[in-house]
Amino acid sequence: MNKEEVDILKRALAREKAARKAAEKILEEKSAELYDLTQELQSSNEQLEKLVKEKTSELRGVFENIIDAYVVIDLWGNVLKMNDSAVSLLGYNNEIQDFNLLELADVSEAEHIMNGFHSIKYEGSITDFQVKINTKNRGQRLVHINASLIIDEENNPIAAQGIVRDITQEKAAEKQLIESENRLATLIQNLDSGVLLEDENRTIALTNKKFCELFKIPLNPEELIGQDCTNSAEDSKVLFEEPEAFVDRINSIIEKRELVLGDELVMVNGTVLERDYIPIFEDSTYKGHLWKYKDITLRQKYRQSIEAEREKYSNIIANMNLGLIEVSVDDEILMANNSFLEMSGYSEDELIGQIAHNTFATDDSKKRIVNENLDRKKGLSNSYEIEVYRKDGVLRNWLISGAPNYSLNGEVVGSIGIHLDITNLKNLQRQKETLLKELEKSNDELQEYAHIVSHDLKSPLRSINALVSWIKEDNNGKLDKLSLQNFDHIETTLEKMELLISDVLEYSSIGSNVTAKNDIDLNELVEDLKRILFVPDHISINILNPLPVIKGEKTKLQQLFQNLISNAIKFNDKAHGIIEIDVKEKSSYYQFSISDNGVGIDKQYHDKIFKIFHALNKSKDSTGIGLSIVKKIIDLYKGEIWIESEEGLGTTFHFTLKK
Amino acid sequence: MKNALKILLIEDDTIEVMKLNRATSSLNMNHQIIEAKNGEVALELLKDHSALPDIILLDLNMPKINGIEFLRILKNDDRLKYIPTIILTTSNNQKDLLECYKIGIAGYVLKPLKYEEYVSKIEKLLAYWRMNELIEA
Repeated sequence: MNKEEVDILKRALAREKAARKAAEKILEEKSAELYDLTQELQSSNEQLEKLVKEKTSELRGVFENIIDAYVVIDLWGNVLKMNDSAVSLLGYNNEIQDFNLLELADVSEAEHIMNGFHSIKYEGSITDFQVKINTKNRGQRLVHINASLIIDEENNPIAAQGIVRDITQEKAAEKQLIESENRLATLIQNLDSGVLLEDENRTIALTNKKFCELFKIPLNPEELIGQDCTNSAEDSKVLFEEPEAFVDRINSIIEKRELVLGDELVMVNGTVLERDYIPIFEDSTYKGHLWKYKDITLRQKYRQSIEAEREKYSNIIANMNLGLIEVSVDDEILMANNSFLEMSGYSEDELIGQIAHNTFATDDSKKRIVNENLDRKKGLSNSYEIEVYRKDGVLRNWLISGAPNYSLNGEVVGSIGIHLDITNLKNLQRQKETLLKELEKSNDELQEYAHIVSHDLKSPLRSINALVSWIKEDNNGKLDKLSLQNFDHIETTLEKMELLISDVLEYSSIGSNVTAKNDIDLNELVEDLKRILFVPDHISINILNPLPVIKGEKTKLQQLFQNLISNAIKFNDKAHGIIEIDVKEKSSYYQFSISDNGVGIDKQYHDKIFKIFHALNKSKDSTGIGLSIVKKIIDLYKGEIWIESEEGLGTTFHFTLKK
Repeated sequence: MKNALKILLIEDDTIEVMKLNRATSSLNMNHQIIEAKNGEVALELLKDHSALPDIILLDLNMPKINGIEFLRILKNDDRLKYIPTIILTTSNNQKDLLECYKIGIAGYVLKPLKYEEYVSKIEKLLAYWRMNELIEA
């Protein structure tokens, strides 16, 4: 071997050695890599295993602990598996007895169920499927089902699993909520107030018809939702009497975000609005605000007219000529008007808070007031008179009209008394009473006087008559014819005088001695008169219609008829004298007539004949007082008398007497 | 029956007294007439209980004690109240009439205007009382 060869060999060997070394190194490296990989794989495998284990237990936990009912069924609806919730919801347990889920569905749901099942089979799942089922123990329930299809490795459907939730109550609550929401919405829509709800960005969230109406917005409330309100104040300001103030106020309110109630706004058309601003905060975060506008024009008008009325009555009370006070149930003075202050002489400060009856009344009147106040508490009104002392100590008479005063709740809180000073009236009344008594007395005295006068006047007449008789007797046969005739004249004159005195007395007696009124049968009375009076044979007295029974005094009625009938007899110049008495019944009185066919009375005397001493025919038995007596009696009975007569033909006296 | 009555006439008018005297004498009655000008005089006369009249004729209108007052005094007296008292007057005043009957009278005669009528009334009046049995004095 040559060196060269050796060298070549040596070099080849070295190359070989180096290559082997490099390969060894690569191998070494690769092996280390492999080891690492194996290590990695192992740990990841372990991890995976752990993960699977975790998931499995997690799933089992979910399945077992799931609150909602969980059911697994085969493709024909037979239950394969179910959890406790499902058992308690449905009332059936597949571990005890096989059952088919589809059979639980309500009959009415058959088609719905088929559709649902179809969806699971061909689409793989259903969600939000709602169906009514008949449970074993809990009756019919509405349930909500989310279900999905279970497939094997070859993608063949083998079962379905689903979560069943009982939403019967939820549904009912939801329904109620919707109803109440609807009601609320309708309420807001038809609210008598305009409502505008803006969110925090001043975008309209809700409004109603009234709002659109008040602000003359020609849109539906729904169309406004979502619109920006930033410029709405500016747009609407022309509607208001003070447009700038309107805008400023809105801006300042929105800036402050504080509750504002009862702002009043006057619109150009006269409408008055009341505005409320209610800011809305959620967890102290500003979420928007609510505007409420109410048309209070009418209310405002009422208030104004009530105010005007109040003003009017206050003025009347203050200035009326009657004293008015308002007192509490304890008679404490709460209010007194000007007239009352004048009447009592006190100032307002002196009276307010005082007990009324202790301030004015005399002892007797105090009791009266206290009693009256008891009546006020019962709600009774009354008028009464009391005696009081004015501030200056002068005794006065007051007429009080008291009425209970009620609170808004209808309780008696005191009384209101209207006072009139009747002292002068009272004095006049007393004067009148005294005068009446005096009059009565002097009437009696006059009556007495008339009797005495008539006695005193008649006595001398009797004496003269006696003396004349004696002279005639004592000189029997000695007196000539003329003297005897003169003596007769003296006697006639005396008789006339006596009659006159009697008539005057009778006339003056009418109306003084009033006796009780009785039922007087006038038929009887006239028949009696026919017997008492001297009725010559040629005169007949006829009663044409039955006369009534009337209330009166017998003597006066007798005088009345006697005077008229005797006149008719006296002044009859006919061969056959006829006197007719008649009566007509009227609503409140009787109208009598006494007519004769005698001498009659000239028209010019018709009024005069009723006046005293006005005899038309001076004769020995006529004094001219008879008709005056008639007139006086008729006046006393509040009747009337008049005459119808023609000279030579006769006279009719008509007169009325009250029933 | 008595032949004659003892009559006490209480009357202030002279002519009225004359009338009674003349009437009784013209009628031939033997009555004894005692005159008293007024109530006081009459009461004085009546004090003598031994000489009491059978009847009293009393006028109402008199000075001093008037007729009614006199009547009252009379009726309050235990003895005198039994003497029949007849009112002889002009007054037909209803009040007087009532009052007299209330106190107690035996008659009420109105004096008529005509003397003849007066005589006739007196005749009947006295005849009546003469006929009556009276309590002796």
